[in-house]
Amino acid sequence: MAVPLLEVANLNKSFGGLKATSNVSFNVARDEIVGLIGPNGAGKTTLLRQITGIIKPDSGKIRFKGQDITRRKVWDIVNMGIAGTFQNMRPFRRLPIIANVMVSCLSPRSMKTGEWVKRIEAKAMDALEFAGISDMALEKASTLSQGDLKRLEVARAIATEPELLLLDEPFGGLSPAETDLMAKSIKRLHKGGRFGRLHSEGPAMIIIEHKLQALMKIVDRVIVLNYGEVVAECSPEAVVKHPAVIECYLGKGDI
Amino acid sequence: MNLLRYHLRKLFLILKNEVFVLPSRIVVLLFFLTVLLLPLLYDDPYMMRILILASIFAIFAASWDLLSGFTGQINFGHALFFGVGAYGTAILNLRAGFPPWASIPAGALVAVLAGLLVGLPCLRLRGTYLALTTLAFPIILMGFVFSVPELTGGELGLSGLSRLARSRIANYYIVVITMLVLVTVMWKITDSHMGIIFHAIREDELAVKAAGINTTKYKLIAFSLSGFFAGLAGGLYAHFMRIAGPSTLEISMSFQVVIWSVFGGMVTIWGPVGAVFILFPLLEFFRIWPELRQLMFAIVVMIVLLYMPGGLLPWLRSKIENECPRCKIRNIATRKVCRVCAADLH
Repeated sequence: MAVPLLEVANLNKSFGGLKATSNVSFNVARDEIVGLIGPNGAGKTTLLRQITGIIKPDSGKIRFKGQDITRRKVWDIVNMGIAGTFQNMRPFRRLPIIANVMVSCLSPRSMKTGEWVKRIEAKAMDALEFAGISDMALEKASTLSQGDLKRLEVARAIATEPELLLLDEPFGGLSPAETDLMAKSIKRLHKGGRFGRLHSEGPAMIIIEHKLQALMKIVDRVIVLNYGEVVAECSPEAVVKHPAVIECYLGKGDI
Repeated sequence: MNLLRYHLRKLFLILKNEVFVLPSRIVVLLFFLTVLLLPLLYDDPYMMRILILASIFAIFAASWDLLSGFTGQINFGHALFFGVGAYGTAILNLRAGFPPWASIPAGALVAVLAGLLVGLPCLRLRGTYLALTTLAFPIILMGFVFSVPELTGGELGLSGLSRLARSRIANYYIVVITMLVLVTVMWKITDSHMGIIFHAIREDELAVKAAGINTTKYKLIAFSLSGFFAGLAGGLYAHFMRIAGPSTLEISMSFQVVIWSVFGGMVTIWGPVGAVFILFPLLEFFRIWPELRQLMFAIVVMIVLLYMPGGLLPWLRSKIENECPRCKIRNIATRKVCRVCAADLH
């Protein structure tokens, strides 16, 4: 059997008495987009942060392409090919937008993969163009609106040329039209046609999102978390009828 | 002959199209020319001594800005680098007989080692905690200096270092040209890709890590570079004063550099350099009222920081230059349209 791209096995993390993730296990294949949903406080962001190495799990294993990355440094994990965005956007506010992306382009992975012959500035510009904010490349990041900050987060993540992209609420704060555009570009990025990787496939993805309608159109599989546990793992069509999912969103009992 | 004409023409075009279009660049050019030509016109020993000391402290202040301004690792013990550079240079010169051109860089390398020694345990700290911890290191070293007087000369320090050069003019040119070169190098470093990473580390370290950059490595690079330049300043100081004493490790030395940088405008490199060349002669000027000297100095610094919180020189620059809203190129304030993209300037 082929090794899955990402393997999460029995992941546990508690903050004091709160179990943020308990015994979470799932796999992500190379060509998948996985949706990660659940009510607020279900542990979705904590799970993603453990994969990117920002939070270290109490126990459990995370394997990427067969290698154990559980205790690796954040930058090692990024340079292996996992990039994530922050839910609460963290731009370098006093730097121009292009410099924000250039930081990602200066990472060792980005310097030697993708179109590495290009200048750093050109690569950063490509990422900004993909995210749709290249016209504001020279503005300070502090002048951006909420929606554009989301795009900047995505641009910074894809500039590291990831094989697995973790998006934390990419549609948060976007208008319906913008959501549509963003969903389309995520889909296109996954197919690998546009962004500087013409001869390879796009990254696999895990997407956390509350706008389920938009999410269901792009994902292949949905994982539902509640109280830190995986309550369901099924296709986007089946998830809306899944009793455990209805229970965690709406509660139990006769209506 | 044609080659010469070509290069002259190129120089003229650079001056016309790049330098004379912005008042701040004209000021920098004038500053370079002034410090280089002044002793030829007016070789007063007192003035030259002030300019030499100002040059040494300009290197020192710029190196603090490189570490604390750009990378955001606020260092309140920057005198450590200066003192280690001075003592290292003095010991190498006196005990091992190194000539100045070898002892100063070697002393600076000793300062880098000290910087790494200090930087490694401090890397986990940030903000106030880092500042307070770094404050302690020069004091610890001062205790060490007093405890081994055979090596360091104790409270008297090490005196009798060889001169930088025989004549006063040569002394002046060695220090001033070194200062101009080092400051330009520091400014180039901050203007490079590495400078962008330094900026980003100051803004949000976690986000830099998440972009795949080894922040520990870059913070250590910042510590070492800053330590190297401050160590060079310390070595120059030791050879110019011909003494390396405990005064180079004093807390006032660490805070002076903070005052200069904040006064001149942090995160610029040219800000602290300009501030030293304003404040150092000013402090000498106030010698006309010896009893009020420090008070006057404090008042000037307070007034500037009260009304120009970003520093004096960036404030002045924002008065005489505007940034084009479209292409972000700077223009002289009197222009109506941008000199590059012809957008309206308001």
